[in-house]
Amino acid sequence: MIIGPIYRLTLRALLLQRRTILLVLLALAPVLVAFIYAVAAKQGAHHLRFYSHMMQELFVPTIAAVVALVIGVSALGDEREDGTIYYLVATPQSRLGLIVTKVAAAWTATLLLLVPSVVVSALLILKGGVDASSILWPVAGVALATLAYCGVAGWLSLRTRRPIVIGVLYILLWEGSIATFAASASKLSIAAYGRALVAERLPEAAAPVVGPAPAIIVLAAVAAVTCWLGARALVRVEL
Amino acid sequence: MTEVPAIEFAGVSRWYGDTVAVADVSFTVGPGVTGLLGHNGAGKSTTLKLCAGFTSPSGGTVRIFGVEPRRNPGVYERVGVVPDQSPPWPFLTAHEVVMLCARLHRVADPDAAAAGALETVGLADVAGRKVGGFSHGMRQRVKLAQALAHEPDLLLLDEPLNGLDPAQRREIIEVLHRLGDEGRTVIVSSHVLHEVERMAPQVLVLVNGHLVAEGQTGAIRQLISERPRTIRVAAGGDGRPLAGALVDDGAVDAVRFDDGTVEFETADVERFSRALPALARRTDTLIRRVEPVGDDLESVYAYLHDRARGAGR
Repeated sequence: MIIGPIYRLTLRALLLQRRTILLVLLALAPVLVAFIYAVAAKQGAHHLRFYSHMMQELFVPTIAAVVALVIGVSALGDEREDGTIYYLVATPQSRLGLIVTKVAAAWTATLLLLVPSVVVSALLILKGGVDASSILWPVAGVALATLAYCGVAGWLSLRTRRPIVIGVLYILLWEGSIATFAASASKLSIAAYGRALVAERLPEAAAPVVGPAPAIIVLAAVAAVTCWLGARALVRVEL
Repeated sequence: MTEVPAIEFAGVSRWYGDTVAVADVSFTVGPGVTGLLGHNGAGKSTTLKLCAGFTSPSGGTVRIFGVEPRRNPGVYERVGVVPDQSPPWPFLTAHEVVMLCARLHRVADPDAAAAGALETVGLADVAGRKVGGFSHGMRQRVKLAQALAHEPDLLLLDEPLNGLDPAQRREIIEVLHRLGDEGRTVIVSSHVLHEVERMAPQVLVLVNGHLVAEGQTGAIRQLISERPRTIRVAAGGDGRPLAGALVDDGAVDAVRFDDGTVEFETADVERFSRALPALARRTDTLIRRVEPVGDDLESVYAYLHDRARGAGR
C-alpha cells in the first residue's frame, strides 16, 4: 500500500520546508513548560498529576492537533498548490496508495517532532518517578490522535482550498470549546479519544469518552475512512 | 479490428461556475504530432487537463486508449504529461526527478531511463544539479524528460516551448518530430501559430472553449491567410478616386472613409496588393501608408470562431 519513493519524497519535502522550524518550536513548548516546572515545582508537588494534565489539556488537543494538521495539509495541499501533484497523479499508482503514502509520511514527520517532546517532558517532570507506562500510553495517545488528524488534514486538503482554516476551527471551536461542555459533542472529537489513551495509566483530567480499546478503534477508523475519502476525492476534484 | 484512438473527446464540456472553459468539444487524436492552438484562455490547458485526467468533464466523455483516465490509473503507464506552470520538486536533482517519475511508471531500469531521457533533452551534463537552481528553460526540459523516461505511447505537452531559447526550441521540436515518426501520439498546446506549424502537421484550433477548426496545419494556415482582411490606406487627397477604382476593379468588397484614411475590406489580399499601386498611379493618388487592421492572432481566432458558427463573412 505504501509507495516507497513517494513516502521518501514527501517526508523529505515536509522536513525541509521552513514552516517545520516553527512546528519544531511549537512541539518544544511542552518541554519548556516541563523545564520551568522542574525548576520551580515545590517540594511535595504531585508531578504525575501535572504531567497528566499537561498531556491531556495542552499536548494532545492543541500542540499535537495543530502540528498534525499543518503537516497533514502540507503533504497533499502544498503539492496541489504548486502543481507537483500532477507528476504523482499522472502515474499508474493506485489512488488509495497515493493517499495512504502521503498520510503515512505526514504522520511520520509529525511523530518525529512530537514523540521526543513527550519523552523529554516526562523525564523533566517525573524525574525519578518515570516508568514505561507513563510514557508509552501518552505516546500511544499522541500517535493515534495525530494519525487521525493527518488523515482528516489530507482529505480536507483535497476537498477545500482552505484546509488549515477549517482544521483550526475544528480544533479550537469544536474540540476546544463545544466538546468540553457537551458530552455528546466530545464523541466527535479526535482529541477526546487521544486523551482517553493518555489517561489510561495517568490521573484523568476529565472523564474519558471511552476506554482505550474503543479509542484505538475509533482513531484508526477515522484515519482509514479519511484515507478512503481522500482517494475518492483524488479522482473527483479538480487538481 | 478498429484501432482505439489515443484520445477521444465526445461532446466534452467543462465549466467553472458561470465560466465555460470547454464547450461541447468532440475530436479524436491518433498517432503523430497534433497541435492544440488557441489564444490564452481558449481552453487549451483545460483540454489537456481533461486528457491527463487532472479534472473531470462537466458533460461528455474523455477516453484515453479507450478508458476514462481518472478511473483507470493503469493507463498512465502509456501516458507522459508535461504540465504548464508546475516546476518539479526544487530540492531534487534533475536525475532524481526523472528517475522518480520513471520508477513510479514502473520502468524496469529507472536509473538508465532517467539518464537517457536527460540526454535526449540536452541536460545530461547538469543531471546532478538541483532543479531549484535551474533556469525556466532548463526546468521545462526536466519536465519533458520526466514525461519521456517511460517511453509513453501518448505525450501531452502544455506549452512545452515556453522559456526556451531558439536553439533549445529547435532541439525539442526535433524530439517531438522523432516521437511522431515513431508512431507515438503527441499533443502539444501553444498560442503561437507558427510554433505549432513547426511542431505539428495536424492541428486543433480552440477559441473560447469551442473547437473551431481541425485538420492539416497547412490547410488551416491557408484558411487563415485567405480570410477577409481589412487594410487601412493613408492616401493623398481624400482617396475617393483610388477607392472608386479599386471597387470598379473588384479588388475590394467594402470601403470606409475615416479621418484622412480609407479602410478597404477584401477577400483577396493578393489581388488587392497587385491592384493598389497600379490604380494609385492611374488615379494619381499619393499613398503614404498601408497597414493591415485587426491582423493580430485574436482577430484570426475570432474569424475562425465566427466561421465555425456559420457567421463567417
